Amino acid sequence: MQLRYVFTELRSGLRRNLSMHVAVILTLFVSLTLAGCGMLLQRQADKTAEALGNELQILVNLCVVDDPNGSPTCGGGAVTDPQRKAIENALKENPEVESYEYQTQEEGFEEAQDIPQYEPYFDGPDPIITVEDWPPQYWVTLKDPKEAEGVKSAVEGLEGVSVIQDQREDLEPVFGIIDSLKYGSWIGSGLLLLASLLLVANTIRLAAMARRREIGIMRLVGASTLYIALPFLLESLVTAAIGVALTAGALAAFTRFAILDGLADVIEFVPWIGWDDYVQSLIGLVPPGILILGPALTLIPTLLLTRKYIKV
Amino acid sequence: MIRFEKVTKNYPGPGKPALDQVTVDIDKGEFVYLVGQSGSGKSTALRIVLRELRPTSGRVYVAGKEINRMAGWKVPRLRRQVGTVFQDFRLLPNKTVTENVAFALQVIGKSRREINRVVPETLEVVGLKDKGSRMPDELSGGEQQRVAIARAFVNRPMIIIADEPTGNLDPATSVGIMNLLEDINKRGTTVVMATHDHGLVDQFRKRVVELDQGKVVRDEAAGSYGFQH
Repeated sequence: MQLRYVFTELRSGLRRNLSMHVAVILTLFVSLTLAGCGMLLQRQADKTAEALGNELQILVNLCVVDDPNGSPTCGGGAVTDPQRKAIENALKENPEVESYEYQTQEEGFEEAQDIPQYEPYFDGPDPIITVEDWPPQYWVTLKDPKEAEGVKSAVEGLEGVSVIQDQREDLEPVFGIIDSLKYGSWIGSGLLLLASLLLVANTIRLAAMARRREIGIMRLVGASTLYIALPFLLESLVTAAIGVALTAGALAAFTRFAILDGLADVIEFVPWIGWDDYVQSLIGLVPPGILILGPALTLIPTLLLTRKYIKV
Repeated sequence: MIRFEKVTKNYPGPGKPALDQVTVDIDKGEFVYLVGQSGSGKSTALRIVLRELRPTSGRVYVAGKEINRMAGWKVPRLRRQVGTVFQDFRLLPNKTVTENVAFALQVIGKSRREINRVVPETLEVVGLKDKGSRMPDELSGGEQQRVAIARAFVNRPMIIIADEPTGNLDPATSVGIMNLLEDINKRGTTVVMATHDHGLVDQFRKRVVELDQGKVVRDEAAGSYGFQH
């Protein structure tokens, strides 16, 4: 196969359709960058949930005399031993529970006194909170930090349970923000990826129109379909390569300046994504990385349309 | 070389078939005129030989192969054995004469050495040895058709299909093109030429196959044009 002709055609094709190719590259760049950001945010969300979620527990407060929460399951009195046994059994039998730990009123009260901001409540001859006010508690660790509803509903409403605190709820706004950014990126990139597909299709149509005389002659003299399609495929590959390179640069800048030098310096208790995750967003298979997504987005419509326009 | 066996071609929609039970046998090295009024089925027959169209029924053999059931990927190989010439020349306006002829070899993957050897030879056959560097718009109609014939012949095909090759040319130039096609035919290439040019058909007596409404109504060795249009 004479590749000289193919490369000459590639060069003239790129020159002839320059504005369309630039449009494809820019759209591809923005959409792939958004898709890449979506992937990175997904990884960030998973990482945060995994790291923090494992440390976060569910707290089951048992009833005390004159329960301050006024829970109907307390009946005004402190939790009794049989009630506590029933609650413990419910935790023991629940498949979502990894482990649990019982903390008596005295243990909890003592631990709370070490926390500086609680000090005013314990000070003085007539303190606001005494050991009788401090609820006995079950600290429950979950197998999957995301699955807490089963445990909550198993113990909620049992006699002797005052209130259930889920520490994870405190982090929900953080997850909410990450999720919104992630879904925003997915939707934005989805729409733009559709736009790039249509742009690629248009570019191919224009290129095929511009070269219809050559294509007609090639078909008649017996050039193979692959040979006729090759300049189109290479044009698409070149635009994809430029789009992917720009995206890789933008995502690298995002990882470096926004995450590693930015957020990671300011908020230290969250484990942040790093270069490993960046590489995964480029070469990952599920979800497909930018290096797969970019060429696929340009080559698939090119293959389909060249089959249509240059059928021998 | 070309064999039609009860070939029928229907286009979508109502109306008579473009070809109706056509049976024709063209031997290697023959020169055949395909004549008939517009719409008689000449172009359809030529396009079937090129496998641009498939017949609705019947069998078509070209160069020993049944082509109506030929797999799509084998079609380019078939077309390398069939050169094609059109009334409107279909040259690439941005390429020189030499480049236009060489293009047919480049795109089927011939080596540069072979192209450099064969293209000047072919230009000599068609009488354009000194005009290789001209652009198509610098040539007369007859010369442009010679370039088109050179492009069709450069790969030394077994068959040349010519669809009204003199349709755009004056009578004197047409005779020159006919002489050229006859010369190529004498070198062993089968030539099938669809034409309306009764002067040429009567002057260069060859086998005449006449189509009328898709049917073969006459198949005559060394025939005349035979009908007025």
